[in-house]
Amino acid sequence: MASEIETGTKYIPEMSKKEIEELGSSIKAASIKVIQENIERMKKTWHNRPKEMEYFDEISNFFGRREKEIREQKEAGKKVIGYSCMFAPIEFILAAGAIPVRVGSGWYDAAKLGDRIMPVEVCPVIRSTAGAKMINLSPYLELSDVIINPLTCDGRTKLSEILSDFKPVWYMTPPRVKDDPQSLSLWKEEMQEIRGKIEELTGTKITKNNLRSSIEVMQKATKAFRRLQDLRKGPPVITGRDAMLVNQTSLWDDIERWTQKTNELCDELEKRVEQKNWACPPDTSRVMVTGTPMLWPDSWKVPNLIEESNPQGVLVVDELCSGDRILYDPVGVDEWTMSDMFDAVSERYLMASTCPCFTSEHGNEDRVNWLLNRIKEYKVDGVIYYVVRGCILYAMEYARIKRILDRMGIPVYYLDTEYTREDVGQMKTRIEAFLEMLEARIDI
Amino acid sequence: MEREKGMLETIAEILRATIAVGLVTAGILAILIWVKNLTRKLSALRLFIQIVSVAVIFLGLIIGPFGVAEWAYLGSAPKDIAIGKNILGRPYPDGLSVPTFACYYASGRTTTCVVWQLQSYIFPYWETSSTYLTTGLERLAIAFGLLVIMSLIFGRFFCGWICPFGLYMDLLTRLRKTLKIKHWSLSEKANEALRQSRYLIIAAFLILSVILGMRAIAGVELVSESELGRYLEMPFCQVCPAKPLFVLVEGALGYMNLDYALSQTIGDFALTGWYLTSINIIILGVVTVGSFKVRRLWCRICPLGGLIALFSRFGPFKRLSLIKLTKIEEKCTKCGICKRVCPTQVTEIYDKKGGDVTASDCILCFRCVEMCPYEGCLNVEVAGKTIYKSKNWLQEEEE
Repeated sequence: MASEIETGTKYIPEMSKKEIEELGSSIKAASIKVIQENIERMKKTWHNRPKEMEYFDEISNFFGRREKEIREQKEAGKKVIGYSCMFAPIEFILAAGAIPVRVGSGWYDAAKLGDRIMPVEVCPVIRSTAGAKMINLSPYLELSDVIINPLTCDGRTKLSEILSDFKPVWYMTPPRVKDDPQSLSLWKEEMQEIRGKIEELTGTKITKNNLRSSIEVMQKATKAFRRLQDLRKGPPVITGRDAMLVNQTSLWDDIERWTQKTNELCDELEKRVEQKNWACPPDTSRVMVTGTPMLWPDSWKVPNLIEESNPQGVLVVDELCSGDRILYDPVGVDEWTMSDMFDAVSERYLMASTCPCFTSEHGNEDRVNWLLNRIKEYKVDGVIYYVVRGCILYAMEYARIKRILDRMGIPVYYLDTEYTREDVGQMKTRIEAFLEMLEARIDI
Repeated sequence: MEREKGMLETIAEILRATIAVGLVTAGILAILIWVKNLTRKLSALRLFIQIVSVAVIFLGLIIGPFGVAEWAYLGSAPKDIAIGKNILGRPYPDGLSVPTFACYYASGRTTTCVVWQLQSYIFPYWETSSTYLTTGLERLAIAFGLLVIMSLIFGRFFCGWICPFGLYMDLLTRLRKTLKIKHWSLSEKANEALRQSRYLIIAAFLILSVILGMRAIAGVELVSESELGRYLEMPFCQVCPAKPLFVLVEGALGYMNLDYALSQTIGDFALTGWYLTSINIIILGVVTVGSFKVRRLWCRICPLGGLIALFSRFGPFKRLSLIKLTKIEEKCTKCGICKRVCPTQVTEIYDKKGGDVTASDCILCFRCVEMCPYEGCLNVEVAGKTIYKSKNWLQEEEE
């Protein structure tokens, strides 16, 4: 009986080596093309794009410099730990000397492959990640020794079953209610377990010293990121897509180098603020996106359309877990003791998170408050609520958020889409209509 | 001989004056530096103010006058000069009350703990003794009035920034931090129980003070009209952990004659002396060990803190009180840092949605404001004006 269950649980059907190779290389080639195209389009919108962005362009290529680096470090004995969601404790991974990489997938073509094993109703992020695994597309997924998979939504829960066909998957179960008295202690137990597993995998003990230095590394990254975000509060000195690209490269880049490069970029941008050298006219409509993660490279579809449309819009801030969630929140350590550092790291990932998987009797208050604060601080003219089909948590929170934003007089537009390029024309019309409406409001 | 002694005294006087001048200069310098970086490193500023407050409260140890006959064995209190020698034209030898543990029993204090004064004056309130030319009711009104006024103006700011016993606990915490020993947190229930019991303690000891002040009920003598009886009029002081601390510290520093403090031993009550009862010392030991592991343990049960809270956080006083901690709901992601860093484990700041979040347990140390990573989320307001607010503290770490 047991053996039947064991052999019968393989989600992914057997594919011939030839098919894997053929599909893999064609999708990889297409993906490289999309990455280049996206960068070209970003350069076109932002005529005098600073040369500091070149570094991020280079890192943004999944099949380039960073893949090579990770491969070399892995050969030198370092462990690579992939994570699918922002709940994974990066500080612990860094403290144990392993390399953290985020493995969520933004490939449209891979989502089609995922259709072979799951219905199209499933969130395309999940289908795409599974599809990428089928043809060994994602270098970071392939290089990971283990995947940390927080079970935040239904798709991710089942994704871990699929991925565990290939490599060990560590689950983390975040409590769905933050404020219950037992939530935090449950989460801390979960963190304690992951910490033990990381120590076992890497053979390095997480000590006061290495945890402290990894916390400080992440604090510096947060500081650099906040500096970039603060620059976006004024007239647009950087386009939204470029800021998002910087943000997303932090998910797989060497974080210390990323911090340094981001600071260099900020230095340049600060100079440009003094020169009033804006990335686009200062009266451009200021748009915020929130909702399903917009993963590089294919999900650049919507940001591209927003910033290239006529009338133009500029993304000034986002509330996405592919974006500023968690990275914006520092680990606040009161006392540099092991227990307090551990608590601080644990709390950062649970309490500071505004993931829609949380609920309370008043709804997901923290996320609503955070959105409202963002809207005020970044002087947002309109919100695009971006949801891909099957992303139930974000889709269901929309109705409530719309009511709140309506009352405040902030226009919000529900943009539902799919992992497909076929609806670009339709998207363009919808986005243009929304931006025209925003512009009309600004003129008044 | 005489001349030599005179010279020595002059030298001692000069030395004393130099130290005093040096301390004052250092204080002024520190304040100047502080003004320059007004809001940086609030914790360091707080430690500085706490130390300065201790120096001011026990100023008599530095500046004299010494050897006044009435308090010859203890040295005299400079309060006579500094503040409150005459109130309404009559001597008020206990000094003005300040709601901190500025212990009555220690030498050289400029102010007096209000808990001592309330217990001492409440019964018999009509008596006007030879040393107190102020009448009993006047004394009571002054002590109580000052308590209410200061509570309204400063609230529990006294606890976080001025109280010498608070400094003692903070120093223990700092020692623990340097040793990198983790702290224990009390459960919310235990904390709540401590918070509630503050008022029971106040009520119980004030009643006890009245009973013991009566000396006799229906002709049955409770305590004899002895010196012991005079001490038992202040029953809370005989269990307070602050009293033995100050007496012992002053004894160790040579400011106080410990032989005297320990000499007046009377059997039945298991006293080691009126200045240091054994109950006192046991409680001090428990609180010391406890607050080494639990931050600001005593503050959670402190009846004096409870009294201040009573006149600044409840009922009509809440609206009148000047210092407030406010939160802007929208800026909060409920990251929980404020809850974790709070030395008295106040949860209101985290739990409440926004607006006035000052809690009765909050000692206004503003650690939460210092550690809150969101610009302007937590604010310290004095009379409606924001004087300090949370900000992106990552920016200051290196500068």
